[in-house]
Amino acid sequence: MKHKALPLEMKHKALLFLLALAPYAAAFSQSPVGYAATSSQPLPSSQPQPSDTQKVITRSTMVGAGPTKILDTYLSAEHFSGTGLSFISSVERHREGKHWSTLIEHEANISSVKDRAGKQQELEAAYNLYWGKLYNWQLLDGKLRLQAGGVANALLGVIYNTSNSNNPAQARAHLNIMPVGTASYHFQLFHKKMMARYELALPLCGIMFSPNYGQSYHELFNRGNYDHNVVPTTFIAAPEWRQMLTLDCQLSRTFTLRLGYLGNMQQQDVNQLKQHVYTHRLLIGFTKRFSIIPRSL
Amino acid sequence: MKKFVLPFYLFILLLLHACVDTEERPNSPSGNFEALWQIIDEHYCFFDYKQHAYGLDWNSVYNKYKVRVNDKMDDNQLFEVLTDMLAELRDGHVNLSSPMDYGRYWAWQESYPKNFSDTLERHYLGTDYKISSALRYRVLDDNIGYIRCSSFENPIGEGNLDECLNYLMLCRGLIIDIRNNGGGDLTTAELLAGRFVHEKTLVGYMQHKSGKGHSDFSKLEPQYLEPSSNLRWHKGVCVLTNRSVYSAANEFAVMMRALPHVQLVGDHTGGGSGMPMSNSLPNGWSVRYSACPMYDRDKQQTEFGIAPDVAVTLTDAATAQNIDPIIETARRLLTE
Repeated sequence: MKHKALPLEMKHKALLFLLALAPYAAAFSQSPVGYAATSSQPLPSSQPQPSDTQKVITRSTMVGAGPTKILDTYLSAEHFSGTGLSFISSVERHREGKHWSTLIEHEANISSVKDRAGKQQELEAAYNLYWGKLYNWQLLDGKLRLQAGGVANALLGVIYNTSNSNNPAQARAHLNIMPVGTASYHFQLFHKKMMARYELALPLCGIMFSPNYGQSYHELFNRGNYDHNVVPTTFIAAPEWRQMLTLDCQLSRTFTLRLGYLGNMQQQDVNQLKQHVYTHRLLIGFTKRFSIIPRSL
Repeated sequence: MKKFVLPFYLFILLLLHACVDTEERPNSPSGNFEALWQIIDEHYCFFDYKQHAYGLDWNSVYNKYKVRVNDKMDDNQLFEVLTDMLAELRDGHVNLSSPMDYGRYWAWQESYPKNFSDTLERHYLGTDYKISSALRYRVLDDNIGYIRCSSFENPIGEGNLDECLNYLMLCRGLIIDIRNNGGGDLTTAELLAGRFVHEKTLVGYMQHKSGKGHSDFSKLEPQYLEPSSNLRWHKGVCVLTNRSVYSAANEFAVMMRALPHVQLVGDHTGGGSGMPMSNSLPNGWSVRYSACPMYDRDKQQTEFGIAPDVAVTLTDAATAQNIDPIIETARRLLTE
C-alpha cells in the first residue's frame, strides 16, 4: 500500500500540533507529578539548555542522626543530652535568567535526652517549615553561586519531661524572620561532578508562644488565664542560627548522593524562662534537579 | 558596601557568643544542696504568706542547713538534710523523690486525729453499694444519699455523675464524703462541683509567679464555677471533711463552701492550695513544690486548710457502737 504525501501546509500544522503536545506527553511519560520535562542531571553544569521560561527545581531529601542538647528551665534546671533523628526535605525553585529563587524546607526531628545523672528523661519533637526568597549571583563562570535573602521559619514542637507533675511538657511554637545566605561551589573530583554548599540562617525578629515564668498549662488551657503568652522576639531574646553544609556527588545520570551536616541552634530567653535545643545531625540523602517547560512554549 | 561589613561581622560574633544557658551546679552534696535551695527560692509561691504566718525566712533556712552539708556525705545523709530543709516550708506539696525514699512533710494530717474509720466506712456503705468510676454511693436508711469520693486521681466522667445523681434523685439530701481524699485532678473536682451550682459563681482566685522574686506574681484571676449542662442537684448537700482532705480535694471543699445550700461537716481540711510543679537536681532527684497559689472567694489563703461549717469529731464511744458522728450530724442537718 502506498502512502500519499501530505501537502506542505498540512505538514507544518501537524508539526506545530505535535510540538504543542510534547510537554504533555513528556509530563505523562517521565514525571508522576506532571512536570513537563525532567532532567536527571543534578548539577548545574549539566543542566538542560536554559530558556527564558524554564524553571529549574532542586529537590533534596535527607535523613540524619546526631546529638541533641536541651535546656528548658520551665521543666528542669538541668541540662539534658542524647541523640535524635531528623528528616529534611527541601525544594528550591529558580527560573532561568531570573535572579530570585524560592526555597522551601521541611525539617522534622525527634530526640530522646537524659540528664547527667541518667535518671531524668525528656522527649523532644519538632517540625520546622522554612519558606523564603533568595537573590542569586553566579560567579567564576557559574562555578560559584551565592545567594542571600530571607526566610520565614514556623516551628511547632514539644518537649516532654517524663517525671514532672503539673509541668510535664513545654509547647514550642514560633514564627521567625531569618536572613539567610548560601554559597555553592561546583567542581570535579575523581571524575565525579561535585557541589559543596553552605547555608547559614540567622535570626532577626519574630513572635513565639511561652507560658509565663511560673504559669501552669492548667491556667492557660482550662481556665483561659493568659499572661504574656505571645511574645515578640528579636535576635537578642531568641539568638538562633542554623547552618547546613552539604556535598553533592553525582554518582550516575539519575542519582546524586548528598552528604552533609546540619546544626540547628534554637534558643530563647523570654518570661525569665530559658530554653535551648541544639541539634547536630550527620545527613545522608539524595538530590534531584529537573526543569519545567511551560505549556505556552 | 564596606561600611556594612564590620557591623555584619560583629553581628555574627555576637550571635555565636549569645548562648542562652544556665550555670550548672556540680553533682556533689553541696552542689545538690545549692541547686535545691535555689530552685525553691526562685519558684516557691508561699514565702511571703508563710513569713507572716509563722516567720519563715528562706535565707535563714539556707544558713541553718548549709552547715550540715559536706561533700563526704552519702546519699542517705544528704537526703535527710535536704528533706529537713524542705520541711521548713510546712507544705505537703513539697516533696523530694529519690530511688530510696520519698521526702515529705505530712504533719498537716499526721499531727491531728484522723476523724475517719475504715470500719465505719464499711458499716455505712455495706456491701450492696454502687460504684461509678471513683464514686461509691448508696441510699441510707433515712433516704439520704451518700457518695464516698476518696480520690480525684481517677477521672470521673459526666456519664458517671449522671448515673450517680439519677440513682439518688429522690433522696432528701446528699452527703459527699471526701474525707481522706488527698487530691488529684483539679478538673475532676470542678466537674463534680459543677453539679451543685446553678449559675456561674465566683468560688476563688488564682495567680502564678511572674518572676524569680518572692513577691513576683501575676494579678489575681477570678475563678468561676460553671453549672453543668447535665443533671444537677438542687437540694441540700453536706460535704464531710477531715485533716487528710488536701490539694484538689481542698479546692473542692473551697468551691462547695461558696455555694448557698452546701455545708462542710467534720474537721478542718488539710489545705494544699498551691498547684505543684516539678524540677530536678544534678543527681537526678526530683523536687516538687507549690507554684501557683489559689485563694477562696474572699481572696484568703487556703494553704493551711479551711474550717468546717459544723465541727464534729469521731469519738471512741461512738466508734464502738458503729456510729460515725460526722455522718450522723450530716444526716440530721439534711433532714431538719
